[in-house]
Amino acid sequence: MAQILVVDDSGTVRNELCDFLTANGLTVSSAVDGKDGLEKLKADPGIKLVVSDVNMPNMDGLTMAEKIRSELKNTTTNIVMLTTENSPAMKERGKAAGIKGWIVKPFNGPAVLASLKKLAA
Amino acid sequence: MSSTSTVFSKILVLDSLAKDSETIKALCEDSALIAIRPQEGGAANVLSILGSNIDLGGIMLYENYGGPMAGLALARSINDLRPELPIFLRRDRQSGNAGIPEKDAAMFRCAYTAADLSTLRASLDSSIFNRVYPTALVRGIAEITQASLGALLPHCDLVMETPYLVKDRIIFGEVFTLIGIETNWCRGYMMLQTGESDFLGLAMGDRAPGEALTFRDLNSILGEATNMIWGGFKSRYANHTGGTNVASSVQVPIIINHQRRFISFGSEDPQLCLKYQFRDRKNPDAEPVYVYQRFVFNLNWSPEDMVESPAVESMFESGELELF
Repeated sequence: MAQILVVDDSGTVRNELCDFLTANGLTVSSAVDGKDGLEKLKADPGIKLVVSDVNMPNMDGLTMAEKIRSELKNTTTNIVMLTTENSPAMKERGKAAGIKGWIVKPFNGPAVLASLKKLAA
Repeated sequence: MSSTSTVFSKILVLDSLAKDSETIKALCEDSALIAIRPQEGGAANVLSILGSNIDLGGIMLYENYGGPMAGLALARSINDLRPELPIFLRRDRQSGNAGIPEKDAAMFRCAYTAADLSTLRASLDSSIFNRVYPTALVRGIAEITQASLGALLPHCDLVMETPYLVKDRIIFGEVFTLIGIETNWCRGYMMLQTGESDFLGLAMGDRAPGEALTFRDLNSILGEATNMIWGGFKSRYANHTGGTNVASSVQVPIIINHQRRFISFGSEDPQLCLKYQFRDRKNPDAEPVYVYQRFVFNLNWSPEDMVESPAVESMFESGELELF
């Protein structure tokens, strides 16, 4: 069972993030888009934290977050967006979907590790 | 990193008369043009230059370049090869197209004499500098791009060359990304272009010994760079403005000719080109690797309505978690 699910269509970001989190003692799985993320979370509901991009093919990250709450009825998994987006409107939509936080790329691992560990505990 | 955001354009000068070249040199300096002169070698060399990856804004051609009236024949070859490049013809005796066959006259944006460069200046302005890219926009793009590329290639030194305007439509390298840019004051595309093997070699410098990278890894890195720049652009220039433009449903076909490495967006307006040079710090003697970035606002361009986000500084505190 993974603690963190990384959802990003960019292999570069997925690898960077997974390598960083794994190297810091966290168990990680990954998904390539929102649809895949939803399936992975359905298969492994014990995941504590989802770190997801917003702009992805097939299903975007915010839609996935909304479906995690509405379709999977999962209100306990923490969700953090890791994205190039920085618009207040998108953040508001994320808040409404119950996401816990927002990181604007590029990812700065050391700056957020402690918070991510807390959310994945 | 370059601190300048003044936009120049490169122009190929095919004019071998020294005294006139001095005149032209002064004009180029006045007009924000970077003059490129070919080595000796005649028309074949010129066509070879045009087949390479020089991003040109236009060509200044002397009617007797390469021999009496040889410039006209060369102009025909240039026009066949690169019709998108405006040609400015210098004549010995008179300005205008008198004595030039009508079908050839259409190849030239203007025909001027060294004694009167006002015609040339006006034509350069209307052909190359007819689109003004605001300094704040160019500076912002440079900052966003350098931050994004620097984050993905942290082991490299990155230098941005002076931004310039291009009229040609040649694709640099073997791989490029293309993403739509849409605000209520501009609509078009951004491209990143680079050479596959060069860029892969650069990216390898950050990997563990023995780890191989493929073109798919390059796709991923360049794709993520594009995504980050797009997001930065959107945050800085789009999010705080009003609704979308009423013409936002308009599209035009994009035409790509693989054999000629040519891409057209249907607009003849000059594109904004920024060129980034990378060097691996661990291998400083290696040849630099280049990434070209082009902006083509072919669907809407109303820079007078451009507004930069007032929160632009905070956007660069990226990478940190904002908890809700």
